Amino acid sequence: MTDYAVELTGITKRFPGVVANSDIHLAVRRGEVHALCGENGAGKSTLMKILYGIQQPDEGTIAVDGAQVRFRSPADAIRAGIGMVHQHFMLADNLTVAENILLGAEAQLGIGAKAKARITELARTVGLNARPDMLVERLGVADRQRVEIVKVLYRGARTIILDEPTAVLVPQEVDDLFATLRGMRAEGFTFLFISHKLDEVRAIADTITVIRRGACVGSADPGAVTSRQLAEMMVGSELPSPETRDSTVTDREVLRVTGLQLAADEGGRSLLADVDLVVHAGEVLGIAGVEGNGQTELVETIMGMRRATDGTITLSGTDITRAGTLARREAGIGYVPEDRTRYGLLATQPLWANRILGHQSRPPVARGGLIDREAARRDTRRIVEEFDVRTPGVDVAAAALSGGNQQKLIVGRELSGDPVLLIASHPTRGVDVGAQAGIWEVLRRARADGLAVLLISADLDELIGLSDTIKVMLRGRLVAAADPATVTPEELGAAMTGADGAAA
Amino acid sequence: MTTLTRARAGFGTLPGWARSAIVVAVGVGLLAVTATLTGQIQLTSSGTTQAAVRLLLPILFAALGGLWAERAGVINIGLEGMMILGTWGAAWAGYQWGPYAAVVGGLVFGVLGGLLHAVATVSFGVNHIVSGVAITLLGLGVTKYLSTLLFLPVSGNPRQSPRVEGFETFSVQPLADALAAVEAQQRVVLSDVAGLLGGLLSGLTPLVVLGFVLVPASYLLLWRTSFGLRLRSCGENPVAAESLGVQVYLYKYIALIVSGALAGLGGAALTLNPGQLGYLEGQTGGRGYIGLAAMIFGNWRPGGLLAGSALFGYVDGVQLRAGGEAVHALLYGASILAVGLAVLWVLQRRWQTAAIALVAGAAVYAVYFSTETVPREFASYAPQIVTLLVLAVASQRLRPPAAIGMEYRRGEGD
Repeated sequence: MTDYAVELTGITKRFPGVVANSDIHLAVRRGEVHALCGENGAGKSTLMKILYGIQQPDEGTIAVDGAQVRFRSPADAIRAGIGMVHQHFMLADNLTVAENILLGAEAQLGIGAKAKARITELARTVGLNARPDMLVERLGVADRQRVEIVKVLYRGARTIILDEPTAVLVPQEVDDLFATLRGMRAEGFTFLFISHKLDEVRAIADTITVIRRGACVGSADPGAVTSRQLAEMMVGSELPSPETRDSTVTDREVLRVTGLQLAADEGGRSLLADVDLVVHAGEVLGIAGVEGNGQTELVETIMGMRRATDGTITLSGTDITRAGTLARREAGIGYVPEDRTRYGLLATQPLWANRILGHQSRPPVARGGLIDREAARRDTRRIVEEFDVRTPGVDVAAAALSGGNQQKLIVGRELSGDPVLLIASHPTRGVDVGAQAGIWEVLRRARADGLAVLLISADLDELIGLSDTIKVMLRGRLVAAADPATVTPEELGAAMTGADGAAA
Repeated sequence: MTTLTRARAGFGTLPGWARSAIVVAVGVGLLAVTATLTGQIQLTSSGTTQAAVRLLLPILFAALGGLWAERAGVINIGLEGMMILGTWGAAWAGYQWGPYAAVVGGLVFGVLGGLLHAVATVSFGVNHIVSGVAITLLGLGVTKYLSTLLFLPVSGNPRQSPRVEGFETFSVQPLADALAAVEAQQRVVLSDVAGLLGGLLSGLTPLVVLGFVLVPASYLLLWRTSFGLRLRSCGENPVAAESLGVQVYLYKYIALIVSGALAGLGGAALTLNPGQLGYLEGQTGGRGYIGLAAMIFGNWRPGGLLAGSALFGYVDGVQLRAGGEAVHALLYGASILAVGLAVLWVLQRRWQTAAIALVAGAAVYAVYFSTETVPREFASYAPQIVTLLVLAVASQRLRPPAAIGMEYRRGEGD
């Protein structure tokens, strides 16, 4: 037996046209939290898929507890004691907690009382409070994540891969998760922690390995390295930050929302209650809040995708409360949706076709009610150039682009046609540091040019850095306001969960 | 008001079987009242129930077939085609070797259809609807060809098989006779219930028993075993299932083979129908689709699809046994039901829905009041119309499997 729970040696994996991993060495000691950092597209996910048996390496070997292994499928990896918690949860909403956990592992203890007892026991280990017979769709994000962890523990995993586990959590939930991880580490569990949130990595990891463009660029000691140094290792160059300090706020109102109400579909608590807000030209208004507290509904109501039950929405003085979504877009609202693959793009369509979405009634892409393909191509090339979208051309399908480049394309599209208001929902979620910096820069420039921006983000640093004003949303109401110049992420987090008692 | 609210909450928390029992009791009560007030005793006679059972059986099998396929995430609009194949297979085996062979023949031919659907949708990623429609057309063509080839020399008719020997019927004695005696007395409500129940316990065939056994059996298999959990997980989130070592392709194949087998049994049930023993071109008459609709009405649950099939079979039975006047009497029952629902919704403060129900009830009653009978053409089409209406009204809160109809490729999840 060696000290290493997992050793990857010389792993190389090629896909048509790219080398996803090239000669990667990774040694994870037993009972440590080993962080794997790198930009999106750096090859972290591929490496973990190889370790978890989803993909096979072209070259290189894997050793678990000192013995060389070959994983042909996740089942092999599970048998070797490796479990993976995916970033996008692999849960079936319409099955119960117990069913989700037992699926595929029925042979161990059956699906009856004995299995349920074991689940309850493991649930205590990870701090999961949901009953085994609850439907997963009724659980919150943090609980779903714990279900995922119980799932791998139930299969006897001792080494657990956590793929960006904090991306969906608010600060308090992250702290809870880390407390759980530390407790489990003390019990001898090993964690491989994938993240590009460097403060968190430094808080939890015992060892850090950085990957860039498919290759290892080095290891770091979390006690000695700063987040900035780590980030520079990741991108290989100087770093951006979301700071925008000199105010460009004018007194010209662009968006005014008054007394906005949105009733729930089936009775119950209303989704939005008495929402009042004003965004001025040149101002970034940030909305902070734990997901599911009405931000999505607010944005969709302003966009006209939902009908407000009461209240008014005016854009540059015109009442648009009853206008349709297309009319609102034509009136000058740009919209970066929260989930680009579901609401922002047609994945199988070429970039130029995606350029037309939402602009189908306006020049330059449409003329006299018809689509002008050539003009759409031309204008897409302009966006590609101006917004630094890395793509082989405008005729490739949107799905072929990385998340960051997809997002840059969307931002470019939404800033086309001279909008007066941009609604940006999580504009840099799941994009790499480079693209993030690019998008921040674009937003800053647009703000300086007098654009009004309504920014919704779960990334509190981003929110604090970019916003001129921050409002906190809780259970469908704007409960607090904060000054980004003075507020800390912790204070915001407390206000988001209602933990600070009253408005800050 | 508070007691009522509590009663309603109580209904929601009751176990499923108790809720079903209440719904059935309300339905039987409604029929009994309608039969008494309109004098249409055929509405609750044992003969009508028997006819209803005979008519619902093919639909029930098709619906079960739909349940298996769709719970594994594959839309099976090819049920109709598999059923057609089943009718032919049952007739071909049946006229030579008897009714049990007919059942096996129908099953085997149905399986062929299911297997084809599996190869197309699972292995080759063909759109489920396209494949299903293709299988239905193929079923029509293949049976036509085979009938001309194999039945024409024997029966002298390329659209019909030789006569197939049916099952002996049997009754559950002495219960059936006792119920028949009660029914004959024509007492209010009591005789109605006896008639409905008596029809369920007499004139049975092994195939009817099989159909009714398969409903709880499907439930137990799909919801109470690890096999069923795996199969359902393929319909809810195949990527997650695959990541947990479930062989999604295998389970989808199994599901579709079972689905085809059940649809084939539905075909056999048509061929062995006492009223029409043998294969007849166009015999299925869209029952595969109706089965699918019954399953959707039943919210992808075995108990629900039984209710959907029963509704259709019952209306069909009524119109066959007693014609337009009995269907006319059903309008009366429908208006009572609408008013009852309106009252329920008023108590739940769902004013708008209640108003709609009330208006609909009044409209139906107006039609009932101003006409003597429904036209023959309408009566024979009543089952389809009822299905359509019930689907439109009841399909508001359905929960289909989450990954239904989606193409799934191994190893492409993230």
